[in-house]
Amino acid sequence: GSASSRPARSRCRRWGWTAARPTCSRSPCPRTWRAWRSASTSARAPAPRRTSRRLGRRPATGPRPGTPRTRRNPQTLQLISKKKSLAGAAQILLKGAERLSKSVAENQENKRQRDFNSELLRLRQHWKLRKVGDKILGDLSYRSAGSLFPHHGTFEVIKNTDIDLDKKIPEDYCPLDVQIPSDLEGSAYIKVSIQKQAPDIGDLGTVNLFKRPLPKSKPGAPHWQTKLEAAQNVLLCKEIFAQLSREAVQIKSQIPHIVVKNQIISQPFPGLQLSISLCHSSNDKKSQKAASEKQSPEDHLYVLEHNLHQLIREFHKQTLSSTMMPHPASAPFGHKRMRMAGPQAFDKNDISSLQPNEGLLEKIIKQAKHIFLRRRTARTIDSLASRIEDPQIQAHWSNINDVYESSVKVLITSQGYEQICKSIQLQLNIGVEQIRVVHRDGRVITLSHQEQELQDFLLSQMSQHQVHAVQQLAKVMGWHVLSFSNHVGLGPVESIGNASAITVASPGGDYAISVRNGPESGSKVMVQFPRCQCKDLPKSDVLQDSKWNHLRGPFREVQWNKMEGRNFVYKLELLMAALTPC
Amino acid sequence: ARSDEGVGRRPRRRKRGCAGGARTGAGGALEQPVKRGAPAAPPYREAKTMEAPPVTMMPVTGGTINMMEYLLQGSVLDQSLESLLHRLRGLCDNMEPETFLDHEMVFLLKGQQASPFVLRARRSMDKTGTPWHLRYLGQPEMGDKNRHALVRNCVDIATSENLTDFLVEMGFRMDHEFVTKGHVFRKGIMKIVVYKIFRILVPGNTDSIEPLSLSYLVELSIVAPAGQDVVSDDMRNFAEQLKPLVHLEKIDPKRLM
Repeated sequence: GSASSRPARSRCRRWGWTAARPTCSRSPCPRTWRAWRSASTSARAPAPRRTSRRLGRRPATGPRPGTPRTRRNPQTLQLISKKKSLAGAAQILLKGAERLSKSVAENQENKRQRDFNSELLRLRQHWKLRKVGDKILGDLSYRSAGSLFPHHGTFEVIKNTDIDLDKKIPEDYCPLDVQIPSDLEGSAYIKVSIQKQAPDIGDLGTVNLFKRPLPKSKPGAPHWQTKLEAAQNVLLCKEIFAQLSREAVQIKSQIPHIVVKNQIISQPFPGLQLSISLCHSSNDKKSQKAASEKQSPEDHLYVLEHNLHQLIREFHKQTLSSTMMPHPASAPFGHKRMRMAGPQAFDKNDISSLQPNEGLLEKIIKQAKHIFLRRRTARTIDSLASRIEDPQIQAHWSNINDVYESSVKVLITSQGYEQICKSIQLQLNIGVEQIRVVHRDGRVITLSHQEQELQDFLLSQMSQHQVHAVQQLAKVMGWHVLSFSNHVGLGPVESIGNASAITVASPGGDYAISVRNGPESGSKVMVQFPRCQCKDLPKSDVLQDSKWNHLRGPFREVQWNKMEGRNFVYKLELLMAALTPC
Repeated sequence: ARSDEGVGRRPRRRKRGCAGGARTGAGGALEQPVKRGAPAAPPYREAKTMEAPPVTMMPVTGGTINMMEYLLQGSVLDQSLESLLHRLRGLCDNMEPETFLDHEMVFLLKGQQASPFVLRARRSMDKTGTPWHLRYLGQPEMGDKNRHALVRNCVDIATSENLTDFLVEMGFRMDHEFVTKGHVFRKGIMKIVVYKIFRILVPGNTDSIEPLSLSYLVELSIVAPAGQDVVSDDMRNFAEQLKPLVHLEKIDPKRLM
């Protein structure tokens, strides 16, 4: 375009004049004209620029009126030729600029094309792809990792061409799209929960599904990665559930497992129900609306779901282990030891010992049983601890556990006397169906899964503790233990455990305290006074000497509930102190 | 030798006519497999003269399941081996690469018929404690041109180490032996074996060997129960992926001879 068509400000800038000053509308500007005049006399380089600018603004009508014609004629020619050459140069520059801007636009367009290939490269770094004809197919199954599930797990990679170039490209635009098989759409998980047995068998099959919010994908992950990972997860959940239901039907157990629709129900303990269900929520709007109303249940055992995933992966790894590879190479696949079964004439027991004994379902039921037993044990101990203040019960749970075994150390102590009275320390090993208790004195007791057994046992231990505490206290206080029995055969029969009793005598021998403690009957404390202190003794002529009056006489019961002291041992200490004259 | 399948029983005498007639049946119909209680076989008579024992022409089965081997073969030159192994490593199941060194002996039982009965005894030379492998491969099934792989009856037995003595006692004679060395891969139920065959220079001595050719033999095989022809499609799809490096195709051994 001509110089006059360009905006005024840019014209100034281009010619190197002060850009801030707006160009005046007068043509030419008197200031600039003056500068031109002064410059033209010295014939410097700025002169032609200004000349052409000036000349460009002016209509080509000829020289300015009033200037001497003779002096400017050769210069005019010079100026006109310079103008022409400069116009030519400007044309070239403009053409170049146009070409550049066109190629930039093309580049942007190409980038979108090239992006497909770079996206495809990124996709290939994570997933197995192969070209079949003109289609690009991928494999999202676990077959190359050792799975034997018959699902093909093939996805297709398609080019995303529904993009309007004129409109702005959306932020999350990806030139590549993946098409996953229709039965793997949505998200799935395996819900494992332990509930009280459902009273009505007709409730089966209606699993309380809830649409678990999809795990947050990594922020930089492209959308195809989340899509493929979700589909792979659905496939794995399907495989796990197929394996579990196959085992539930085939394996004979005492209480048969029920497989209904997408749920497997089994009974680990009487009155208890373990339900494993495959919850697959597809992405369509209908199910989303329905799922949003359900609340998230709290009885889902995340640990068992995680363990199911781990177990199936272990199973996959087994099929790929090098023990399955044939040596010599023409032999069929199979475990090395199974091939030895023929030549070495294994019998049925040997062969069954080679094969894995437990399937997925049995393992997960065992784990569920253990989890339930551990929780119930903890609940029992905690409820006892909160209900009974004297003596105190402490539980120290071990951090390192097995899936089938946990352990807890239970201490029964009296507050304030922990150093003296620490004779009851129990180590509980919680297994799958039983609890094994190891006492500090070496006794090993096996308790069943019944909650009541553990509770009764702990109560009986607590009552024994009180009597043991008296024994330790007597040692400290200097009293002598006259008799001690863990299981007395006298007095009322206890329904839980046995009562224990102890008799201690004061250092001087004047007084004796006899304590009987039972889990149900509580504690009974009696004090034996010397005869001389008892007023209601009949006088007789049998005793001649007065020294016999210093022997201990009848027993009198102490009103223990009126005794001062915050716990049993404290009260007893006070009693002992009171009976020991200083 | 103790064996876990029933191949240790003696081959039964078959009427020549009936065997021949059944074999010429069109359409690739399978002959009746030999069963234990087959009524048509007369008991073997102790001959006064030492005549050659009869050799059955019927397909042999081990036990109740009739297993078939589906096979595709190809070869690569030595210089292309590395690229083929890389490709297989990527395509096949993710495991540590397995190499093997085996010694195979082929035993023949020459009967009255023209074609002898062939049994292959193979042992692993690099892995100790693995059983010997006795293999019977039947005639390739003719007929179905759509089938992409070579199909033949196959019986695999694991045996103890005194297999060669047993076969010699039974009347088999060793025809030839060779050493194979190579790699084995797996993909699901497919087995891909890439190996080089070595000729044994001194019979009986497996240390003096020389390669038979400058190439490696590539075999893609599946052993599956009879009737599962869909596996040949999987084999063909897999063979497609190896296409430019090696061409796996069904090679009829009879046409080579």
